[in-house]
Amino acid sequence: MRLSKNVVHLLLILFVSLATIPLRVSAAETGEYIAIRKEGSGKIAIVLRQPDAKGNRESGWAQNLDTVIHEGLAFTGLFNILPAPLNIIDTTNPKNPVLNFGALNSVGSEIYAGGKVTKQSGEVVLDMEVYETLSSKQILKKTYTGREEQIRSIGQAFCADLVQLLTGKKSVFGTKIAFVSTRTGTKEIYECDFDGQNIVQLTSSRSISLTPVFSPDGHYLAWTDFTSGRPNLYIRDLTTNKTVPASKNGVSIDPGWRNNNEVATTLSFEGDQEIYLIRPDGSIAQRVTRNRGIDVSPTFSPDGGKMAFVSSRNGLPQIFVQDMGSGAVRRLTFSGRYNTQPSWSPVGDKIAYTTWENGSEINIFVINADGSGLVKLTSRCRENESPSWSPDGDMIVFTSNRDGKKKLYVMNASGENQRPLVKMDGEQMQPSWSLFRK
Amino acid sequence: MKKHIINGVLVFALMATAGCSSSNNAASNGSANQPPATTEPALKTGYGFDQWQQGPLGDVFYEFDSSDLSPEAQQQLKDNASWLESNPQKGTTIEGHCDSRGTSEYNIALGERRSASAKEYLVRLGIASSRLETVSYGEERPFATGENDEAWAKNRRAHFVVK
Repeated sequence: MRLSKNVVHLLLILFVSLATIPLRVSAAETGEYIAIRKEGSGKIAIVLRQPDAKGNRESGWAQNLDTVIHEGLAFTGLFNILPAPLNIIDTTNPKNPVLNFGALNSVGSEIYAGGKVTKQSGEVVLDMEVYETLSSKQILKKTYTGREEQIRSIGQAFCADLVQLLTGKKSVFGTKIAFVSTRTGTKEIYECDFDGQNIVQLTSSRSISLTPVFSPDGHYLAWTDFTSGRPNLYIRDLTTNKTVPASKNGVSIDPGWRNNNEVATTLSFEGDQEIYLIRPDGSIAQRVTRNRGIDVSPTFSPDGGKMAFVSSRNGLPQIFVQDMGSGAVRRLTFSGRYNTQPSWSPVGDKIAYTTWENGSEINIFVINADGSGLVKLTSRCRENESPSWSPDGDMIVFTSNRDGKKKLYVMNASGENQRPLVKMDGEQMQPSWSLFRK
Repeated sequence: MKKHIINGVLVFALMATAGCSSSNNAASNGSANQPPATTEPALKTGYGFDQWQQGPLGDVFYEFDSSDLSPEAQQQLKDNASWLESNPQKGTTIEGHCDSRGTSEYNIALGERRSASAKEYLVRLGIASSRLETVSYGEERPFATGENDEAWAKNRRAHFVVK
């Protein structure tokens, strides 16, 4: 622990020069930083101090921003948020109060974040500063400006910068989750923010709408619904709000985007159920699978070169991986009789999926794309389904009926810190985390 | 091998039956002011007919994770084919359904295979495929509520809606 802290310290000194031109840290250095963080203890010990403010209005903003930042960083599960020491500001020289790094270090803080809020031209201006406490060095200094009603976005913009600086990865802040809910009595598509806030209903089909998934750039939403009387793929351009069906005879099941211009889905118009690549205009680009039996639920490696999917070609459903170039297929899962709902991590070679286990339990597992390293993430809490990764690969959103009705939950990729995500009426299911951020 | 022979025999048997019922139907159609068959309340009970199947075509049931047709299912489909032979102006939508176990996306695929296996059998019995539409509801429209063997068995079906 102590050793790793020293190494972190040294590396952070490297960062300082970068941080003065805030944001955008080069990948090589951040990569090293991540490796060292993982080697050391898990969570980053941080002291958050409510931003200074003068005036009633500004003080209210500061309080709200503090709450947003606090909740945002807590949501990631990356931080151990420490209470600020009482003597955090050294007022030995009353004309020039300074941060008391000794006090910060004594409570075990690695990182300190604080700042001030002012009103300029009627807008909220948040000046934030972040220090690595051992070295007393500033690692981030940035100003965030917006209207009063944007306080949540302002605070989360800071959280996004901080997480990206410390982990080298894109954060969850600003991302969306599409999901299905029975709130109106029929299954419709909704979206919410990464933290379950700002719920918006996206379809009013009064039919059955299922399996929504955003394109990687957020330009399109694809889903399956029964408006035409049978399950059919729909693709909505989220800029123009125009929706096109991928019209073919037979059914369409469970789309998954390969890239911004190709979404894979199962179609049965040729008789057997096969996976095809569809263009955003609804036309077919390519047939992908050629095997008798059920082939469903495509999900792609980050480079689009490999596709994991569910097939009944060996009997009960198992997960297979197909090379998109050569067409070669190999079976991925050998543990569990009924494995479905694969989700390929956007950052690496891990695939989450569900196993229907003995009795009525369904549990979420993660496996390396080469079939090694199987880990069970849920257990002994009824049905846990539909895993979907956050863009940074650090979290998984899923469905569980552990408390009765099906609801959305999130957890860290290790399975820790499982908690409910969305508070809304009816059941919620089939969540899909966006790769884009707004 | 054995299955093929049995199926072959069934097809022959059906062709004979269909021929019979066809002429029976012509006779009954001849009598005046008969209400259309589809509006008759289902009086049948037993395999294929329960509180959810009120039409003239009986449902067929499936084993877990299977779209194979049992002998009972094949018999019901023969009866359904007879009725369709006798009512050439009618068609049917065959809905494939699954029990609530397993996962939703896979069950839509499984439900489609159930509706397709029923359709395929009817087509082999001589019913024009243009009269037979299929749809899968997977586990989205269960008939029986409850999480037990009885409810699950009732939900694994191809349901026939005359149109």
